[in-house]
Amino acid sequence: MSDAGVIHDIGYQRYEGPRLGRAAVFGALYQHGLRASFGLGRSIKAKIFPWLVVGIVLLVAVINAAARAQFDVILFDYFEFDSTISWLIIFFVAIVAPELMSRDMRAGVLPLYFSRPLRAADYVGAKVASLVTAVFLLLGVPQLIMFLTAAFTLDGGIGKVWEEFYGALLPGWAYSLLWAVLFASISLLIASLTGKRAFAAGGIVAFFLMTTPVVGVLSILPSETAQDLAGLVSPMSLINGVYIWLADGVDLGLDVGRFGPIYGIEAFCLVAVALLLLLARYRKVASL
Amino acid sequence: MSTVAYITARGLFGRRRALLLLPLPLLLVGLALICEAYDVSPADWGQPVVVGLGLAVVLPVTALIVGTGVLGSEVDDGTIIHILTKPLPRRDIILAKMLVAAGVTAVTAAVPLFVVGALAESVRFGLALAVGAVAGALAYSALFLLLSLLTRRPVLVGLAYILVWEGLLGRFVSGTRVLSIEQYVIGIADKIAPSAILDGKVSLPVAVVMSAIFAVGGTLYAINRLGSFSMAGETS
Repeated sequence: MSDAGVIHDIGYQRYEGPRLGRAAVFGALYQHGLRASFGLGRSIKAKIFPWLVVGIVLLVAVINAAARAQFDVILFDYFEFDSTISWLIIFFVAIVAPELMSRDMRAGVLPLYFSRPLRAADYVGAKVASLVTAVFLLLGVPQLIMFLTAAFTLDGGIGKVWEEFYGALLPGWAYSLLWAVLFASISLLIASLTGKRAFAAGGIVAFFLMTTPVVGVLSILPSETAQDLAGLVSPMSLINGVYIWLADGVDLGLDVGRFGPIYGIEAFCLVAVALLLLLARYRKVASL
Repeated sequence: MSTVAYITARGLFGRRRALLLLPLPLLLVGLALICEAYDVSPADWGQPVVVGLGLAVVLPVTALIVGTGVLGSEVDDGTIIHILTKPLPRRDIILAKMLVAAGVTAVTAAVPLFVVGALAESVRFGLALAVGAVAGALAYSALFLLLSLLTRRPVLVGLAYILVWEGLLGRFVSGTRVLSIEQYVIGIADKIAPSAILDGKVSLPVAVVMSAIFAVGGTLYAINRLGSFSMAGETS
């Protein structure tokens, strides 16, 4: 007890239990990010906006499913669903991305995070993964509702249901995943530039909105090449183009001509560049 | 009052932040120039550029960023208390902020719209768009200024208004047009210089009166709200 040099022993003990590593930090950040996306575990104020969007999206899906079940009218299929609510997806990422990125900068917790065994790649990865999951849930769950309604009302037994599942829902989910990955990486990059949530939200919306009319303008230029490449300018039509190329001829209201691969390459590069820039952004974090 | 306006303007423009406002107008003029260079008929490109980009995106988004930036950011980081504790009538504070917000928005939106309108049709059409944009800037700025006093998340509420109310519902539900500033702008510009590009759905008196109600009513209510403003800590 009374070793030489010890004046007071006030009873502090070292922690000797197991120490969780990077994987646990990643998991915790991911889980927290996903919960924060929907305001879970937070006050009612944080829930209003995400759940407003979720409510509208679910309403659209239910109306669509009901129209199909009752009147046999397909308002839009699993693909068109994503494009129909694209403005709500923009709104959703404008709400959630600043919540995930800007809040941490504003609250000055980044130096605390990075004093743990956490690398920049883990932080960025966890944030991107949680936003991708959140956007995918936003799109995938309504699609599942549309599928379930269809499955219980389709005539033709299990074969028909399987066909609907395999031929329509799964590609629809893949398409939603594409939306989620592209929107999450771009919006998180924009949000990581400013600690003010307000500016981040404005920037995200400005970016996504101002690119859309450009497509409309380019697609009326008197050059066929320009028309086929017009969709490259806006993330929304870019995703359309990628899917038209992959699914070879699905009609999503966009003509990509023979430039399909370019759409694929640009989508890949866009996501890769956004993620690399995010990594570069978090190589160094300011303490304030 | 001039000091408040000066500080607000510096808050908006300081540290090269003004450059952030440049891409939107430049894109607007750039697209019009591209179309002009390729000899596309203005009947084809007028609608997507003037209405789709100019009136539906550039004007409201600029107004949103500027309008919430002049007051909302000060409320957000708590520096508004420095202005509130000075012996200034709250009216002067709001009026100064409103002046800066509407002025900046009007210049950012009206100048490129004038250029685009002049390219698309005639100088008269350009002037009509500019007048409409100035009216819209006043109404939008007052609305977003008021929002930053009514709620802690003014940008999201403003975005909900632009995206959901004007964007989504305005297309499908005709009744929402009576309460849509974008439609007032289109109505005013369409009346000054009738053209095929614009399709005004509200009459001129309705558009003028409603924009005035938004601008004046919003400002008055904002003065009232700032009069009994209470500081709150970081919540949610």
